[in-house]
This record gives sequence, structure tokens and C-alpha cells, in this order.
Amino acid sequence: MLSIKNISKSFTQRGTVLDNLCLEVEMGDTIAIMGPSGSGKTTLMNIIGLLDKPDTGDILFKGGSISNFSESESAAYRNMNIGFVFQDHLLLPYMNIYQNIFLPLLAAKHSNIQYSDKRLYINELMIQSGIYDLKNKFPSQISGGEAQRVALVRALVNKPSVLLADEPTGSLDAKNAESMGELLLEMNREYSITLILATHSNDIANKMSKKLHLVDGKLVL
Amino acid sequence: MQGIIRIIFKSIKFYKIPVLYQILIIVLLSAVITGSLLTGESVRQSLKKTSSESLGNTGILISSGNRFFSPDLIQKMRNGSNISCTGLVELTGFCQNMNSQKGVVNAHIFAANKDFFAFQGSDSLSIKPGEVAVNIKLAQYLDLKKGDELIIRYSEINDIPADAPFAPDRKVKSVVMKIGAILEPEKVGNFSLLISQITPLNIFMDMNDLENDGHKINRILFKKDYKNSLIALYDTFKNNLTLKDIGFKIRTVKKTGKNELVSDRVFIDGTIADEISKVLPSSARVITYMGNHFKSGGRSTPYSFISGLPSALYPEIASGNGMIINRWMANDLGVKEGDAIQLYWYSPDSLNKLIEKNSHFIIKSIVDIKGIWADSLLMPDFPGISGKESCSDWDAGVPIKIHEIRKKDEDYWNRYRGTPKAFISYEKARELWGNNFGPATSFRFPIAVTVKDIENKINGSLDPYKVGFTITDIRAQSLKASESSVDFGSLFLSLGFFLILASLILLSFAASLYFDSKKRHINTLYALGFKNNRIFMLLFFESALINFAGCIIGAFGGFLANLLITGALNTVWNGAVQTNTLHPYFNIIPVLTGFVLTFLTIMVLMLIKIKRYLKVLHRKGIEIYNNHSGKKNLIILFISSYITISLLILSVLLNEQRMFFSLASGISLLLTCVLLWRQYYLGVSKRVQRKTETRRQFSRLYYSFNSSGAVTSILFIAAGIFTVFITEMNRMNFNEKAGNRSGGTGGYLLWCENTIPLKEDLNTDFARKSFGLDDTKLPGLRFVQMKRSSGNDASCLNLNHITTPPLLGTDPTDFINNKSFTFSKALKTEHLRNPWQYLKISPSSNVIYGIADQTVLDWGLKIKIGDTLMLRAENGMPLKIIIAAGLQSSVFQGNVLIGMEYFSKYFPSVSGSTVMLAEGKPESAELIRNTLNDRLENYGLSIEKTNNRLASFYTVSNTYLSIFAVFGVLGMIIGIIGLGFVLLRNFNERKKEFALMLAVGFKAAKIRRMILSEQLLILFAGVLSGILPAVVATSDSIMNHAKIPWMFMLFMVLALMITGSLVLSISVRSVTRKSLIGSLKKE
Repeated sequence: MLSIKNISKSFTQRGTVLDNLCLEVEMGDTIAIMGPSGSGKTTLMNIIGLLDKPDTGDILFKGGSISNFSESESAAYRNMNIGFVFQDHLLLPYMNIYQNIFLPLLAAKHSNIQYSDKRLYINELMIQSGIYDLKNKFPSQISGGEAQRVALVRALVNKPSVLLADEPTGSLDAKNAESMGELLLEMNREYSITLILATHSNDIANKMSKKLHLVDGKLVL
Repeated sequence: MQGIIRIIFKSIKFYKIPVLYQILIIVLLSAVITGSLLTGESVRQSLKKTSSESLGNTGILISSGNRFFSPDLIQKMRNGSNISCTGLVELTGFCQNMNSQKGVVNAHIFAANKDFFAFQGSDSLSIKPGEVAVNIKLAQYLDLKKGDELIIRYSEINDIPADAPFAPDRKVKSVVMKIGAILEPEKVGNFSLLISQITPLNIFMDMNDLENDGHKINRILFKKDYKNSLIALYDTFKNNLTLKDIGFKIRTVKKTGKNELVSDRVFIDGTIADEISKVLPSSARVITYMGNHFKSGGRSTPYSFISGLPSALYPEIASGNGMIINRWMANDLGVKEGDAIQLYWYSPDSLNKLIEKNSHFIIKSIVDIKGIWADSLLMPDFPGISGKESCSDWDAGVPIKIHEIRKKDEDYWNRYRGTPKAFISYEKARELWGNNFGPATSFRFPIAVTVKDIENKINGSLDPYKVGFTITDIRAQSLKASESSVDFGSLFLSLGFFLILASLILLSFAASLYFDSKKRHINTLYALGFKNNRIFMLLFFESALINFAGCIIGAFGGFLANLLITGALNTVWNGAVQTNTLHPYFNIIPVLTGFVLTFLTIMVLMLIKIKRYLKVLHRKGIEIYNNHSGKKNLIILFISSYITISLLILSVLLNEQRMFFSLASGISLLLTCVLLWRQYYLGVSKRVQRKTETRRQFSRLYYSFNSSGAVTSILFIAAGIFTVFITEMNRMNFNEKAGNRSGGTGGYLLWCENTIPLKEDLNTDFARKSFGLDDTKLPGLRFVQMKRSSGNDASCLNLNHITTPPLLGTDPTDFINNKSFTFSKALKTEHLRNPWQYLKISPSSNVIYGIADQTVLDWGLKIKIGDTLMLRAENGMPLKIIIAAGLQSSVFQGNVLIGMEYFSKYFPSVSGSTVMLAEGKPESAELIRNTLNDRLENYGLSIEKTNNRLASFYTVSNTYLSIFAVFGVLGMIIGIIGLGFVLLRNFNERKKEFALMLAVGFKAAKIRRMILSEQLLILFAGVLSGILPAVVATSDSIMNHAKIPWMFMLFMVLALMITGSLVLSISVRSVTRKSLIGSLKKE
């Protein structure tokens, strides 16, 4: 489904971060990418999500190259196919939980029927992730673990093919981290979403189908 | 400490861009403040220079006003005071270029001897006979060059006040002179004894070329290096002042062998008469008058003189209504002792108009024309009567019916001249004929009093002030007037208030941006154990250093601003100063003041900001977004709307106060609009909850929880637009209202000023006929004639602080009847319904009421209603003028109005009217103007439409408004730049939000559009919330069809919108994918 071919990325201050990196991802895969801080995990995630572009190499999504997508195409790709979860939940403080979850739907136009469907879907996700009762609360009124669940639901609202989670449990305590890990896998199973996870946590990584290490700009088993 | 300093410098170096922003704003602020203060100094110094230049070497001035005195006094003063002095005649006249026929009125004519120029330090200058020198301004006005011919007209020099009884008609002298020199300001070309920055129109001529018997003068100038006190000079002057100097003669009456004292002015002033009576108690007053008719039993004797004699010297004289007549008249009237006789005479009324009065007398005795009863010297030396060969040659200053003069009357004149035909007591005569010009026509002395006795007693004992002289340190007065002139420093600070405020707000935004960017730095310091106070000191010293650098550079910028502003005042803003002679002056005091003022203001701002910043820094950002309720705002909005509507209704109902209520409703509407916008933003949250899928609503959700961010910007833009709009819309233009009776013109069409006083009352049929103004084409033509005393223009056209304004003597009857003009303020009394009536009453002797334009009171004279203006009457006595009322902007600006009755009483020598208002049908304005110009050509008439005169005063305030508008627009531009800062700050605050949006599929361009639309809505809301209230606030002007500069305002709004959009578009460009993705990682 997702094929990353020989991508390289370097920064002026950090030097080469990704070096001829290759990765093949099948639908429904759960992949953990591990590596020390600064090894390029976030850069790789950003490149997969087309938030950043590689200096060289190609990315194929469902057989087609997406490396040279325009800004508009990249945004549509992200909106329709990618869900992001970050270490910082990045909930907007002035929106309530429901509005925060609804946000990705506003990036593209939808019909009223589509909106109705999405609302039902959001409710379903919220119930499933145990945050339905929080829908009218503001981010300041919920816990870190709850916030991260909200962020996950938000990432799933457009039914993406790939969920990119960058250190999703990095800010959570062990209990919440475990619970978050379970939830991610549950979503993977329930909705057949491909999960690519950047993490330092061996516990979570061990639960993934593939565990890769990013060393010297390359992914190794 | 060294460590701290190192941290500060390193921090400044690291954050150089935000620091540079702050420095630039501080430079601007400091330059505006220092520049304003330096401009104030420049104007003050320029006025001083102009004063000094116009006075030349003159230090002290002795002036006799409209009177003339002997030039012998110059030499006597030179000897007595041992100081260089010179004398001259100062007149006003009008002149015309012979070739081009171009002319000017109110030219200053200075007739002087050769020593005048030497006195002024221009030894080489002299005026040849038949030539005149003019100053550059006059030469430019009339296109004169050396060798050209100039016709000069001026009123003849005559000791007798033109309005005095039996004064002959004053003639206009006309001379053609060649231009011998055109004098530069450095060569006293702009010589002036008036206090004004406006360059006069000067003509200098040789004393010998002025028709002036005895070369009398009316000014003595003393050099500026005179070191002694004015009192010492006064004493010297008093000691040297003789009767002869002020036109008195002592002669021996042959018929009685006694001496008498007579004056060239005919009537002897009351104050001088009292002085003489005081030093010579044995003196006795005589008053001789001309009767129109003596009538008895149907017979009449025309035009005969009658004397009021003192019983001390004439024991035979009858008291009360008793009269002695001579045999000639007894025979002519066929009367005998005990018969009644009726006397008719002309008497000037309180306004100096001649009215015929009469009184009954009883003949006590009939005397032969011999001895003391054949005393032809009893008749004063009336210039139009004395020495005339025939009665029909008389120029008596009163209407003489020649056909009533019989042959026997001519024979009497030939044989006895002016020998009085009747005699009454002095007391009775004074009661009938004593007038503003004096209570006596001569003093007579007992036989024992010799000429020497009189001279010894009086010479050197007369109080100069009481005989009409003023002694002034004109240089000190002039410099004081320029020192306390309009303070352009504070003026520009207030005109630039909006700019200063805008800069401070911008600085506040820039500082916030700077502090925000240092957040991580500060947090690190906290983490390292730095105490709150230490971090505060760190930030405070850092700000102080940035502030200091900005203020220093700004102080130099102030020099540039001073150059620019004085340059503009000399050219495009000339209307505010009426001169182009301002020079930029640089003085360390205003620079230091500007520096300190700016530095302290900014430090106070920074102190508040740093404290607030540190307080907020550790508060959870999240809390900020809680607890916002629209309910409170809705209540305030409701109240504000209610007030606005009420004020609007009041502005419609109360016609008189419409202007005030319109303005008040405009301000209220502005606040209502802003509250409405706040309500809109607060309501966004609810609307989003109702209809989640509205993307536009979502984008404004941020301001729903941070409405102050949007509302502050809206308020700032709206207030700026509102201020500039109402400033522009309230530009004082002549509108229909100004032309109404209640407006500034009083409903009059023309304002006329004549150089040669007009003695006639132009409303009488007689005068109309004699001037050819009885034209049926001029229906409704009516005049209000006024007399004007000399003084310094106190209008807004004069920048100096004036203490001696010209007085306008006027009869307010027409103003009362027509309900002309409107008062801003007036003294409250129960019995006076109209403030004009104050001009008809006097609370006590030497105390009268005056009225002036409120602007004159506030700015020119710096006094208020109820205050007393102290001036000197012509007789030297202090005259207290209580300011009874202030007029709304009117054609009288620059003058203080007093009642004509009191003007004539206290300034009898000011004869005839020199100012008049003409009314008639508006469509005939041009015809009236042309007719008056034609018929009063010899009076040096200048006619101005009242609306143009009013407009010329408006020029000053309009220029101030222009300056304010320019600064306002600059302020708004800064405000717009501020919007850019707000946007950048918002961007920094919301970076994660935008990064997330990017991650969930929003395009960067869409995010930019969203931010831009948020900010544009704020800009649009601000503009709309400024314009609508401004239109309401100035509805009064709009309804009065005032000239509203719609184009300017449209241009301004467009410029604002375009600049705003541009600034915002540029600022929003920093929102890029690259700048955002870094924010996705947790710090």
C-alpha cells in the first residue's frame, strides 16, 4: 500500500537524517519505528504524511507516486488517507472536545448527508474510545490520557488508511500509555487502519507486527 | 551584575530583529515628541526674532496715540535722559502704484527725520525729498521697484478730534512719491510698533514731505540699551513736559488784561483741566459754544457764540438760567431784561451724532459790546471758523443754513468776529456743552497770575499719562508676548496625540511579540532558579537599554522632525502661522525634555508590560479561554444602544444643541458598534455549536474566546477613523448657518474697513445723499458703523499673547433687534435678556463691559468671562473692561467690542468709524460692494464679504485640523502596522493550532486565507465602526450643507483598507508549511 523508496533527507544543522531509506507497508500493518532522539523518526513520519518532502527518493501510495504532489494534492492526501497523533495532543483550547474532533472534516467540502454520516461515525468512535461524555468539555477540563484519546479519535474521523502516531504515549504515565497502546491496536483491528508508530517504548513496540530501528538514516530490523 | 549585563547584551544580540522593531518604534515616538517640542521652541524663537527685527533698536516707546505733540520733546529727552532717542509720526494710510493701479489699504506710514535710520543702525540710509522707502512686502504687493511712483493718501494731521463739536471736516491728503529704496527686514524695513508676526506694509517718508505744521510727532523711540527704569524715564518726561509741547498756548486778553490758556484741541480734556485746576487753584474755566438760534417772540438770531463764564472772574454773570446778552442781539430780537429767550444748539449725543437741543433763559441784563463784553478771544480758535472773512465761508463741522445768515450777521462778524452775544454761568454752560472732549474751551486767570506763574506751575507737573501719553517698554512687552505666544510644542504634542498613542500601542505589541519570543529563555531562567525579581530586573534593564538607544536616535530624529514641521508651517501649513519667516531652532532643553519624556513614558509602559507578562507567564494558558459570557456584554450593549438612540432623538429635537448631541450620539454609537462586534465574536461559539460544519465560523472561534484581541483592534481602528473623520467633517467652512443672523456673520453681507475715518452716519438720508448711496437699486442697505482704537490684533491670526487688543466701539441696538450672532458664554444676570445689552451699561466709573469672540478670550487674551481686561483710556486713566460674553466664532475676531457711548467717552480722539458691517439683500452683495468701493474711494476702503472674513479665521483652525488629520492618518498607518504585529503574535500563539490544521489536511494557503479573512474582518469592522458614528456625529454639519471633503475621506478609507490588506497579506505570508511543522513536536 505504501512504498518508500530510497528517500534521503538532510538538514543544514543536523546533516543527513534519512539516507536512502526504504520501507514497504502493507494494509493493516502495525509498524513501530524506534530510535534515539534526533534519529529522524519525526522526519520520516512527516515525509510519509507529506508534511515534509524528501531530498531524493520516491513514495508510492497505493501504487502511485505521491512525492511530487502539489500542496493542494498533499493536503487532500493527508485529509483523506492519513491520520496523525502526536506526543502533544494539540487540542485547540478554545474548541470543545466535539469541535476539536470535527476539525479535520472542515478541511474539505462535504455534503449534508456526508456530515450526518460523519457525526454518527464520530459518536461511534467517541463511545468506543470512552470519551463520549467529554464531548462538551474543553481541553483544559480533561486529563492528559483523555486528551490523547480525543486526539486519536480526531485522527480517525476521516477514516484514514494510515495512522501516523509520533510518540503518542510519550507524555502519558504507564497506565495511560498502555491503555493508549491498546486503543491504537483496537482501532487498527476494528477499522483495518495501517498503523505506523514512532516510539521509544519497547512495551508498545513489542505489540506491533513489525519493529524497525532507525539507525544512521536507515531502517533496520 | 556583570553576568546579568552579559545576559542582557547576549539576549539583545540574539533577538536582534524584535529588538530592532522596538527601537524603530521608539525612534519614531521620540522623534515626534522631541520634534514637537523643538517646533515649539522654533516658533517662539522665530517670533522673538520677528519682534526684535520689527523693533530694530527700539527699546522704549512714548506714544500719544492719536494725538500729536511738539518735536522739541525729543531733544529735551535726549538731554534729560542722556539716551539716544528719535521721534516720528505713525499714520495709517492707503496707497497705490501709479503704473499698475494696484493698491493696498492700512499701510503703515512712518514720517521721520534723517536720524531715525541712524537710530536704527542704518546710518547710510536717508530718504530724499519727494521719495519714500517701502518694505519688501509692500513692494511685492504692489509690484514696486526703485523709481516707481506711489500715490499715498492719509488723513490730515489735525489736533482737533474730528468728532469734536465744530471741528472742520477732516481732509484726505494725497501725495505722489517716488520709490527711493526698498528696505530689507535687516534695515528696519519691517519696522512695527505692533505685536504681531505678520509682516506689515510699511512706507517711510521724510518728515518734510508730510503736511504737518510744526513737524509734530506722535511717537518717541528710545534705544534698547536704556538701562534705567521706566519710572526714571517717566520722571524725566514729566519734568520736561510743557504746556507748549501738548498744544497749549498762553495769551493775554487785551480787553481784560488777564491771561488765558487755550488748547489747539479747542476743548480741554477733563483730566488736563483737573491737573491745571489742582496746580493753579485760582484759574477759572470758560466754555464758549455756538448756538444755532436765539429765539424770542418769533424773532431769531442765527449762528451766534455764547460763553459760559466763571463768576470768580466775572462777578456780573447770572447763575442758573440767567443770561446776559449784548445790545446787538437785544435789538435784533427786540427783547429787554426779564424777557425769556430760547437757545438752540447742536450737541453730540453719546454716539457723537449731532442733535439739536434747546433751553430757555431769562435775560438778566443787556450789555454794550465793550470792555469785557467785547472779548472776541472768548471764541475758541475753531479752525473752520476763525479767520474766515465771511460767515458763509465757515466750515463749522455742523450743518449751516447759509440762507438764514443775514447781512447784519455778516456785518457783526466783520466787526466783532466771534465775540459772544450772550453770557451765562460756567456751571450752566458746562451742564449744557461739556462733552467727551472736555469741560472747557479755555482757562482764565486773575490779573495777578502772570504767564511765568502759569508756566512755572504747570510745566513739569503734568502727569504724562493724564495728558494722553503712554510709556511702554515695547521691547520687553513684545518679547514677553512672543515668549507666552501660542505654545506650538504642546500644540503639536496634542495634534500628534493620536500618532503618539498609536506608536505606544504599536510598541506595546512589539514588546509583547518580543517577550513571547523569549518565553523559552525566561522559562529556562526560572528552571535554573532565577528569582522572579531578578528576572523582572533583567527584562526591565533590557527594556531600558533598548529604550535608551531608541530615545537617543529619536532625539536626533527630532531635529529632522523640527526641520520638516517648520518647513511645512512656512509652506503647506502656513494657514496656522500666517507667516513664512519661521526658522528651525535647536535648543538642548527641548531635546532633553523630549528625551526624558519619551524615556519615562516608555519605561512606565514597559514596567506595566513586564509585570503583566511575568504574571501571565506561569498561568495556564488554557484558563484564558474559560468563563466568557456574552450576557454581560449584551446588557452593556443594550444600555449603550438606548443611550445612542436617546442622544439621536435629542439631537433632532433640540435644534440649538444639535451639534453637541450629534457628537455625543456619534461617540455613543461608536462604542455601541464595538460592543456589537464583541457580541458577534462572543456569539461565534454558540453558533458553531449549533451548526458545527460552518468553516468560516470555526475560523473565528479563536476570537470568541479571545474577543479582546479582536475588539481592541476594532476599537483602535474605529477610534482613529472616527477622529480623522470628524476632524475633516468639522472643518470650519462657511455654510448656510454661518450666513444666518445667528451665525458668525450676524446676517451681515460685508465687512468694510476704511483707513480714513468716516464721520457721517451712513444710515441717515443726508449721508446717503451726500455719498450717492440713495440708489433705489440698493434696497435694505443698512450699516453698523464702529470705531476702532489702536491695539494688537488678538485674533487667531496673531500667534503672540496679546494684552492690548483693539477696542471696537459699537452700538449693539441692531444686533439686539436682529438677534444677530450667538454667544458661547455670557455672564448671568436677571435683568439683561440679551448679552449685547451689557454694552449699554457701565457698573461704575472707568468700568465698562466688553464682548469678544470666545476664541479671542481663550487663545489671544487668555482670559475668561467675568475677568477684567485692564487698558488705559485716552486720558491715561485705567479703563477696566469686564468681559461679559464670548461670541461663537464671528467676524469680530481679534477685537473686543464695547459700547459706542463708552468708546466715545474714553477715546474721544478716535473720530469717525473705521469699521462697518453692511447688510442688504444677498443677491445685491456684489452691487453694494462695487457701489461702496466707488462712492467711498477716498476713504481707503477695503471690503470683504463677511463669509470670506470668517473663512480667513477658519483657515487657522482648519490648518490645525489638517495637521491633526495628517498625524491621525499617520497614527492609523502605525495602527495598521500594529495589526500586522497582532497577526504575527497571534500566529506565534496559534502556531501549533495551524500546524495541526496542516496535519489534518488543511492547505497552508487555506490557513493563510483563514487568518487573513479573520484580520480583514477586524479591519473592515474597525472602518465601519468608525465611519458610521462619524457620519452621525457630524450630521449637523452635513445637514447644513457644509463642504464635506468626501473625496479626501474616501481616499483615506481606501488607503487604509489597501494598506491594511497589504500589511496583513505580507504578515500572513510567514504562515508556511515549513514554519509550522516544527510546532508539531512537543517542546
